[in-house]
Amino acid sequence: MRQAGFIAVLALLALPVWAIDKKPPLPDPVQQQRYEALVHELRCLKCQGETVADTQAMFGEDIRRQVREMVQAGKSDADVRQYLVDRYGEIILLRPRWSAGNAWLWVAPIIFLLGGAWVAWRILRQRRDLLATDTSEVPEEAPRS
Amino acid sequence: MNRFAIPLGIFAVLVVVFAIALKRAPEKQFVQSALIGKPAPDFVLPDLLTAGASVDSKRFKGRWMLLNVWGTWCFECRAEHEQLLAIQREGKVSVVGLNYKDEDDAARKWLQELGNPFDAVAVDKEGRAAIDYGVYGAPETFLVNPQGVIVYKVVSVITPELWQKTLLPMVEGKAL
Repeated sequence: MRQAGFIAVLALLALPVWAIDKKPPLPDPVQQQRYEALVHELRCLKCQGETVADTQAMFGEDIRRQVREMVQAGKSDADVRQYLVDRYGEIILLRPRWSAGNAWLWVAPIIFLLGGAWVAWRILRQRRDLLATDTSEVPEEAPRS
Repeated sequence: MNRFAIPLGIFAVLVVVFAIALKRAPEKQFVQSALIGKPAPDFVLPDLLTAGASVDSKRFKGRWMLLNVWGTWCFECRAEHEQLLAIQREGKVSVVGLNYKDEDDAARKWLQELGNPFDAVAVDKEGRAAIDYGVYGAPETFLVNPQGVIVYKVVSVITPELWQKTLLPMVEGKAL
């Protein structure tokens, strides 16, 4: 029984064997780190919810190879992103870049938040004023008409 | 009634915005190629149909070209094959195939059985030329003008309607 449990634990520990990215790491650990960070911020266009790092789709495989080669060739992160954006468009970046075109993506939440805060503040103030200024006596319960 | 006016108004505006977005979704393809209006990337790749030869994309400059990315593993490619044959017969554009991540033998057999719509078929076994073209699946088709600039990209099957109503007018200079 204990042996069976032990084997089960060992099997669980072997889960990384199912890893999607099967290529050996780059010889330079710094480059490997950059490569991993990059593929985690790219969208798999074939399977829209996944990152390039997490997908088994052919597309992901090819983009991983491309990124690996570019990193190894000494290209900067910005170079790699630009290369892919030139070919696939901004959509390949999971985190949209700051630009005039998609500034609203970043600004809209702030505007909504400020707008909501303003509305909430007004409502609260209205209520407080009601309490402060309404000195009229509470009338007797009037018969409903 | 009055205090519902503003939320109701906002709701109505949202309904209109979403309705328009939904209506436009199919034509506004997920990735409307970033390469439209840019020069088509050049490639020199092995020729599927002539052993030892290669296909140079520059050879097709000076004429309209339809570059079709296909593979025998691609189910929808079979659906558009008839239309590609028809376009080849019509003779208004060069039809060039990019055989994407495929087996050469299977690809040759496919063309033997279904007919060959291509002026040339380049073999892109590793998908490198495909990345250059921003391809993320098959079929994908690029319309390239005689100056070598990408004019349009189709990320789906080329139907007779699509050819007649969208692509052909561009080739004939009648599109807006």
